[in-house]
Amino acid sequence: MADQLTTGKAPAIAKVVATRRGRLPFLTILGAGIVLAWALVAIFAPFLSPYDPIATDFNAILQPMSRAHPLGTDSLGHDMLAQIIYGTRVDLSMGLIGVAAPFVIGIIIGIIGGYFGGLLDTLLMRLLDIALAFPFIVLVLAIVAILGPGLKNYYIALAIVAWVPYARLVRAETLVLRNLEFVEAARVLGYDSFYIIVRHVLPNAITPAAVFLMTDIVLTILLGSGLSFYGLGAQPPTPEWGRLIAQGQTYISQAWWISVFPGIAIVLMALGFTLLGDGLAKQLKVRQ
Amino acid sequence: MKKINLILQRFWQIIPVLLGISIITFLLAHSIPGDPVRLILGPRAPQDVIDAVRQQYGLDEPVLTQYFIYLRNLVRGDWGQSIAFKTPVLELVLLRFTPTLYLLIGGLVFSIIPTLVLSILGSANPDGWLDQTIRVFYTVGLGLPSYWLALVLVLIFAIRSGWLPATGFGNNIKEHISHMILPWATVSMAMTPILTRNLRATLMEKQDADFVIAGLSKGLPRYYIFWRHILPNSVLPSLHLLGVIVLYILGSSIVIEPIFAIPGLGQLYIRSVIGRDYYVIQAMTLVFSLITVTATLAVDVLTLIIDPRIK
Amino acid sequence: MSANLLSVEKLAIRFTTPFGIVDAVRDVSFTLERGEILGLVGESGSGKTITCRSILGLLPKNALPPAGRIYFSGVNILDLAEVELSQIRGEKMSMIFQTPTTFLDPLARVGEQIAESLRYHLKYNHAQGRSYSIELLRSVQIVEPERRVSAYPHELSGGMKQRVMIAAALACRPEILIADEPTTALDVTVQAGILELLRQIREERGLSIILVSHDLGVVAEICDRVVVMKDGCVVEEGTTRDILINPQAPYTQKLISSHPSIDLNVSTQVQEDSRGSTSADILKVENLSVTFKATEGVLQHLFGRGGAAIRAVEGVNLNLKQGETLGIVGESGSGKSTIARTLVSLVPPTSGRVIYKGKPLEEMTRQEFMAYRRAVQMVFQDPISSLNPRMTVNQTLAEPLLKHRICPAEEVDERVDRLMRSVELPAELRIRKPHEISGGQCQRVAIARALTVNPEILIADEITSSMDVTIQAQILELLEKLRDEMGLSIIMISHDLGVIQKLCQNIAVMHNGRVVEYGTAEQVIKLPGDPYTRQLIAAVPHMPVKASL
Repeated sequence: MADQLTTGKAPAIAKVVATRRGRLPFLTILGAGIVLAWALVAIFAPFLSPYDPIATDFNAILQPMSRAHPLGTDSLGHDMLAQIIYGTRVDLSMGLIGVAAPFVIGIIIGIIGGYFGGLLDTLLMRLLDIALAFPFIVLVLAIVAILGPGLKNYYIALAIVAWVPYARLVRAETLVLRNLEFVEAARVLGYDSFYIIVRHVLPNAITPAAVFLMTDIVLTILLGSGLSFYGLGAQPPTPEWGRLIAQGQTYISQAWWISVFPGIAIVLMALGFTLLGDGLAKQLKVRQ
Repeated sequence: MKKINLILQRFWQIIPVLLGISIITFLLAHSIPGDPVRLILGPRAPQDVIDAVRQQYGLDEPVLTQYFIYLRNLVRGDWGQSIAFKTPVLELVLLRFTPTLYLLIGGLVFSIIPTLVLSILGSANPDGWLDQTIRVFYTVGLGLPSYWLALVLVLIFAIRSGWLPATGFGNNIKEHISHMILPWATVSMAMTPILTRNLRATLMEKQDADFVIAGLSKGLPRYYIFWRHILPNSVLPSLHLLGVIVLYILGSSIVIEPIFAIPGLGQLYIRSVIGRDYYVIQAMTLVFSLITVTATLAVDVLTLIIDPRIK
Repeated sequence: MSANLLSVEKLAIRFTTPFGIVDAVRDVSFTLERGEILGLVGESGSGKTITCRSILGLLPKNALPPAGRIYFSGVNILDLAEVELSQIRGEKMSMIFQTPTTFLDPLARVGEQIAESLRYHLKYNHAQGRSYSIELLRSVQIVEPERRVSAYPHELSGGMKQRVMIAAALACRPEILIADEPTTALDVTVQAGILELLRQIREERGLSIILVSHDLGVVAEICDRVVVMKDGCVVEEGTTRDILINPQAPYTQKLISSHPSIDLNVSTQVQEDSRGSTSADILKVENLSVTFKATEGVLQHLFGRGGAAIRAVEGVNLNLKQGETLGIVGESGSGKSTIARTLVSLVPPTSGRVIYKGKPLEEMTRQEFMAYRRAVQMVFQDPISSLNPRMTVNQTLAEPLLKHRICPAEEVDERVDRLMRSVELPAELRIRKPHEISGGQCQRVAIARALTVNPEILIADEITSSMDVTIQAQILELLEKLRDEMGLSIIMISHDLGVIQKLCQNIAVMHNGRVVEYGTAEQVIKLPGDPYTRQLIAAVPHMPVKASL
């Protein structure tokens, strides 16, 4: 495990493990390590990448893996390794930015609906039911059809529809919390609702949303790269992994590496977040 | 509350949902930029023809009226025309329904069976080598992009080895099946990880249930307790996942069908989004959500019928 | 043949947990004779349940191989393999558990759950299994057994479910029945029936029973001998009479003195200096009714009809004088908790009024209502969930002081100190969070929190119901002390008449939402008028007369 980490990271992680009660499971640390590794790749891309990702080299098109090009080249002579390294920036930020607005919006809506109940909550429930009747990708695509392709519009589409699972989770948790005795005690002590929500309900209701956040990052990356695969997400020449996979589709029989390697990158990044999410879920359950 | 009443209530409850779906579908399509009529009829169409068609679809009326015209046309079977195909949308939808149905049914079967097998095997010997392997499998599997999977499978099984056809749907049932094998495999590999994780977690949770200890205290063997008590108690709360699977497969069809050149609803949808084919988008969002709502309703009613706790 | 059916010798069981190795059972030895009912008494953490589970070989996965021996029919059970153990379980020994709701499979019919061991052990076929199940149900006093045999667990009441469990446990005629807190989750009146059933079964079949309980009263009712356990060790053992009348070990004595039993003979154990009936009512409840509608969302609103309405409280009249301690007694579903919540305005009344110092709540101005809120505080049943898990003790206690500006910010620290001392909590607990302190300590914090706003009335809603008896006694003593020091008026809600009698001058007995008896403690307990009250008092397990300590 320590082999994967550079010397800079190990002490910080060791401290985290030591301060928590009970040991952190190995898999969680692995997940954190993977995510951290990708983050470093994204940050230090210019230093790590052997070539400029958008530099073309017509003498070296469709080259298989070699010393000069460890992951091969594509139809325009772009180096695959360089594209994948720089693609890290795009995909990682896509995952992180894409979940931000839905997370916040969903939590706010979920808490308010769950705590106050009544007509507001009933309307919310109907809205959630309706939103859940559509496959997620259908809604996002429809919004992209309206707004046009591009990552920015993808984020807007997410802000419009992706808050629903968060709202559902937080609402369910809030319904339970609302009847717990310490919240009742706060009401008996005469605090106003806003204060009770922020101070007592929110910190406790946020837990399932935080756990889902990790899974959602994976889903956001998968969906975003899927969109880019069809030209509706990241536009050329942005080196996004999904778009790279699409470019390799026509050459799949002659130059399989163009499509395969970016896919492996997606799987590896998703793995990091999934492990981290699982670890987080276990840790939080232990606490309760 | 009597069971029949609860079931009827479920049916009542989808009415506002259906209403909401029709509104959203309408609004979505209405917000797409561009004049669909002009696009359908072409740049050289005479003005009076354009005006007549606009009149027919009420495109100059206020939004609310347009909505009701939309509803009326919907029921009448007039779902507009496709810009790209120049054919009525309803025709298109009906034509493309079958391939997606194949995908849906096959996808369901080939996801449910591996899920059951893997979850049961895994939870039978928790933390054993088989269980650990299964866990690795589904943890990695959660991150597999389905379009990439499709390409990899095509590469290995169609292009490199020539065992299976790479694209198309075939002309008879036998050919349909052989063309659907790779798409089914793709859907299965995309869905099984998350379903297995879910079911396995439920099974593990029930392993420690009190009634298991009670059963053991009566001297009943573990395998009997597993099949007779743990499994039913795990499957029942997991039934709602069936609705989720349908949702996912429909979504996946959008991504997978184009790669395999399967002329289904998913391929139709993605093309219509890329080409901003107004009426097709409108109809497709409706169709997808209707399928989902029907599936979810069926699962809910099934759960209500099976669960003896509800009277 | 020795009279000892079962012999436990120097049993020790350890567990691996994320926090290290825990000794659940350290050194336990006792014997069970043929045909006797042995009581295993102890509070939480005493190891009594683990001991029982080990007798059947049902230890959880994280248990290390136990040390010691458990002899049954000449064989050491701890040496047996799983296969051999499943031969013994059900046929020679079986067990019933505390919560029949969770220990029965909700998806399987009751008859099936009884018949399965018949089919497995005795190879009965389907028809034989069914008819014998009906017989078994009859023998545990379930009426209409032919009909009930195809019922699902949720269709039966708590008491009936426990009888079903007993029937299933006795199906293959075992020699030993282990009953792990079989009546703890049941109402007192139901409990009496179950205990009587166990006694009968012992008479009819010569069954030997190990009865585990934290309640000395239960043990006193039917056990021949008693083993007292604490922290994984046996503290004392002997016949029931000996232990209860002449306890030797200090812990046993403490256990007995903490037990809130009803004293039918002593006239007034409680305060004579009640502030007299000349003082005015500080709180008055007039014809209060609270009805809950079981709504199922917007459709119920849309279509008018609600689900079945639940009348939690009907036409209740109560009054509380300054300095009085009023007890409200009832079993589950009696409406006592609903009244509590209405008094603190957590639940609105459907009809009737609550009047504070002559002013009805609905006529109060916002100022007056805020003052009312502060004047009436509540302490809840579950100490751990009464505190915000993310706040330290200090934060929990400081919050009301700051929010209500009861004292300037500089004084808050000192106030919190004083509060903690008044509830007898050591100062170093200030920085701890709820999961880092014990249940009893949490409840003290909850009491302190209620006192921060200087209330006049304190409502204690089953505040000790989920506690060990010794801790309960301490908390009740604390409450008494605070009441005397601060002149609090208290409404004490409990299902335990013993607890109520200890502190309350007046008692109201509730049943199905109505007050069926209301008077002074002496009247209610010595001369109950209502049949339900009589039934309630009769059902409470009685302890033999204690020797003065």
